[in-house]
Amino acid sequence: MAMAALRRESRRLTSIVSPNPINVLRSSLLSSEEQTSAGVRCISTQIVRNRMKSIKNIQKITKAMKMVAASKLRQVQTKTENSRGLWQPFTALLGDTPSVSVKKNVVIAISSDKGLCGGINTTSVKVSRGVKKLNDDPESETKFVILGEKAKVQLIRGDSRKDIELCMTELQKNPLNFTQVSALADDILKSVQFDALRIVFNKFGSVVSFVPTVATILSPEIVERESEAGGTLGELDSYEIEGGETKSEILQNLAEFQFSCVLYNAVLENACSEQGARMSAMDSSSRNAGEVLDRLTLTYNRTRQASITTELIEIISGASALEG
Amino acid sequence: MSSSAAVPFWRAAGMTYISYSNICANLVRNCLKEPFKSEAIAREKVHYSLAKFENGKSLKPTVRSNDQE
Repeated sequence: MAMAALRRESRRLTSIVSPNPINVLRSSLLSSEEQTSAGVRCISTQIVRNRMKSIKNIQKITKAMKMVAASKLRQVQTKTENSRGLWQPFTALLGDTPSVSVKKNVVIAISSDKGLCGGINTTSVKVSRGVKKLNDDPESETKFVILGEKAKVQLIRGDSRKDIELCMTELQKNPLNFTQVSALADDILKSVQFDALRIVFNKFGSVVSFVPTVATILSPEIVERESEAGGTLGELDSYEIEGGETKSEILQNLAEFQFSCVLYNAVLENACSEQGARMSAMDSSSRNAGEVLDRLTLTYNRTRQASITTELIEIISGASALEG
Repeated sequence: MSSSAAVPFWRAAGMTYISYSNICANLVRNCLKEPFKSEAIAREKVHYSLAKFENGKSLKPTVRSNDQE
């Protein structure tokens, strides 16, 4: 095998191994000078071999993570696609009006708890910052509510750390469900004052495409104001209201329920994007590990070949010297 | 459900529509027959940790777990 390894072996085994003419010859030829020069001439194959082994292990790990992400994606994808039916009627009724300018904005940045999933967390943080900047004028204020560990880490680092109001993590310990998300939405409603909630998440398109999306939920007062002013919400008055409740009560209930539905969808979409992004990231990293492994194997084999050639030359020249 | 008074009783108790509807959903879930009932209840597990922030510092997080509200 490798020259250095062979040398070590031959030194160790000369007494045990049957007197092989080549072995004897070579060990007689070896001097300390040659050893040092040989070390300079070729890369230590031991190190290369260790490196190859560790890269092989990394490749195995990334492949396994890809498999896990793929199976998790399948679970969450059906849920996500089903949950789209929850917000669509609300958008049909109340519309999605990101352009309405209000005093108290609350940006809900949705991210994942775990890393190794490409750029989806960075995207949602960037978009959240952008939304804050868009609504940046002296009269209005913008607060952040963070879902997920990764956006928290990124937002704390920036200058917007003072605007963080609430942070929620460990969402995905159990599979996501509506009860959980609505309890979450309830907590958000109780602890922040808002005129408009802007939910930032990555909408799942396919395994490789995630669209950063902003969903806007207006508070009932704002909805009423807007519907009186006309525009997209003007048609709200053409609906009849049954029962003894007033319009503002209905609107408040609707806005709250809309929020929990939209949040449910947003959390699912983001979880779906997370798994998709992790899948493609792990796929490319195992491919990358394969490439590195190929290169290392090439170097390793070439070095081995070179050392074998050198040894042959040494043997032949030694033999011819003995002859002469 | 709601009386003809100005505020429904659950809102007077300080609940939002979400927690009200959650309680209703839980009641419906409890009305299911057995194989489906435990299945439906096991599906709806709540677990998250919540931390308020003040001046960019995280206060001590509280964990909400499996409270059906």
